Amino acid sequence: MEGSHIDIVIFAPLAVILGVLLFWFIQLLIIEFEKYLLSKIRPNHEPLCRFTNFLGILFQSVCHALGYTITKSGISDFYISVNYGRVAPKREKTGIFEWISNAFLFIGPFFLPAVILLIYLFFSQVTFEVVTPSQLLEVKYTFAGQINTFGSSLYSFSSSFFNFFLNIDLFHPGQFGFMLLLIFLGMGMRPSYIGEKKQEKVDMFYDLKNIWSLIRHKPLYIIILFLISYILFYLSLIFNQNWYVALFSILGWLSIIAIVSLVVSTMILLLIKTTDEIPGKIKLLPYLSLPIFYVLMRVIFFYFPIENSNMISLAVMIISTILITCLLLRSKTNKFKSKRDIKSRKKKGETDEG
Amino acid sequence: MKDEDLLKDEKLEKVLSPHPLSFMKFQSLSIFLVIWGVLVLWIINASEWQIYFADNFLFSLSFWGIGLLLAGIVASLITVRWSIFILYACIFGSGTGFIFWLGLQDITGVFIPVYTIFISILGFILVEFYRRSHKYIISNQRLLFKGGIVTKRERSLRYENIVEFDSEQGILGQIFSFGTIIPQTPSGVGIGSDNVMAGGGIAIGGKKGKLFGIVGGGKEIQTPRTRSYYELHGIYPFKDVKQLLESYKRSTAPTTHHEEQVAFQKEQVDIQKQMRDLLKMQSESKEDAKEEGPEEKT
Repeated sequence: MEGSHIDIVIFAPLAVILGVLLFWFIQLLIIEFEKYLLSKIRPNHEPLCRFTNFLGILFQSVCHALGYTITKSGISDFYISVNYGRVAPKREKTGIFEWISNAFLFIGPFFLPAVILLIYLFFSQVTFEVVTPSQLLEVKYTFAGQINTFGSSLYSFSSSFFNFFLNIDLFHPGQFGFMLLLIFLGMGMRPSYIGEKKQEKVDMFYDLKNIWSLIRHKPLYIIILFLISYILFYLSLIFNQNWYVALFSILGWLSIIAIVSLVVSTMILLLIKTTDEIPGKIKLLPYLSLPIFYVLMRVIFFYFPIENSNMISLAVMIISTILITCLLLRSKTNKFKSKRDIKSRKKKGETDEG
Repeated sequence: MKDEDLLKDEKLEKVLSPHPLSFMKFQSLSIFLVIWGVLVLWIINASEWQIYFADNFLFSLSFWGIGLLLAGIVASLITVRWSIFILYACIFGSGTGFIFWLGLQDITGVFIPVYTIFISILGFILVEFYRRSHKYIISNQRLLFKGGIVTKRERSLRYENIVEFDSEQGILGQIFSFGTIIPQTPSGVGIGSDNVMAGGGIAIGGKKGKLFGIVGGGKEIQTPRTRSYYELHGIYPFKDVKQLLESYKRSTAPTTHHEEQVAFQKEQVDIQKQMRDLLKMQSESKEDAKEEGPEEKT
């Protein structure tokens, strides 16, 4: 067995945990940017912000309810509104059960909604390569070896997922539904709620504070979780079966789906924020260009079929929308500073008069 | 509302119509038709199962019809309204009729989706007409409900006749800030009932004798409900209108102070009446004494 004993016994199990934490942190960063965009568009798009809040509360409540179900506390009350969600257990359980329920509430919304999309992917015709037996034979139970195996598992999933995602057929009802779900997931994936009152500052630090208080409140449980992880790693090592990486790989896959959904919904929010700066009804043009160019390209490729027509249609749709938005920004606003500003105009006017 | 329709000292506050999304329960029927139409178009013409539908118009027709009728049954069971099933059955029946009447068997794969989507568009238009036929007028003295596409309905409700307001706001309403306010009157306008019925029968016995029994039960729950013409259905902005109505109702309702004042005044009037009667009796007795006095002298 390669690697030092310290590396195998202490550091190797941490590799995949750190990998998942890294993905989770990327999610947090994108969510933070999404929240910033939502707060910017809130005055003009109040219903959209309320809708995203509702989605967020829905995901949180479902995760919390799942936590109560798993801990066998039962659910006595389930209530969701646009700005408030309440899930009450039938039997109040304390200790580890309460902690697990709260963990589901705070950490669940980052991973659990993505499970729906993962299930869709498995039931659709997309094929994924999970950690292969050949990789298992080569696996090294060191920090670097574990990271490598985790990375290759994520790579094989990502390549299949992106191959599906970039060639998505929006005329296929199932795939169109997948896209809608992906957007909804990205819009609502946040562990906290953006309050109606502006002074309520709910940001990344607020989320982290919640999770930190969860950890600080019961540090023993975190130690137990780490111990379970280590035991699982040692069992994988003894039986030479990579269960440990396989388990954490699922969390990695969910993170990848979540990150993609967050990026897509952030792009949509960015488009909304940008078009808000364009005066008049012409700002609707980028939204119209999205379906028009897609349908146009698909019709063209129907009569003149080529390879990767779905991907090209998507690319044309996105590029044309970006171009149209930029052109509108240039012609209708002074966003690119292409027009002379008021001060220089005034100066020019004064010199002309002089 | 014209000025001549206004009462004396009446001031018009708001003229409202239901929010475009407030009739979602009707619009959702059309939305389903659009989705089903698109799905049928894709399944029959573009999916991997299209081979099963090629050159077999009866199979396409049955598939479309079963989907429609199943959705109708599910929706009817959920909403306890069989009119939805009847509506979808009519759409299926008329579509089938058109196919045979016009001889469209060869283009069923195109006709069925187009017909379904056309019907759904028609549905959207009808719902929109229905929505626009509602008009709610809020003045400082009363609420006026106007509506009706063919038959015009109008109801005037003075604030002093309103017992309480019941309000309702669904998820869409919470997102788009609209909601429904049902004013309830002492006569019971604004109150509906939910009826739940259950029944069962059993037959026991063989050839010689049979025992037959039926067990049934029902439950009625009184709930705030009325027709959309007699409630403020899906009004926007919900919170502002609710506050306005509550303030008008409060201004017409007698307060505790008013009630005390009225009781005190009534007491005063009673005392005055008693005093008047006493004075009257006193003056009558004096007059009697005067009349009796001279007679005694004589």
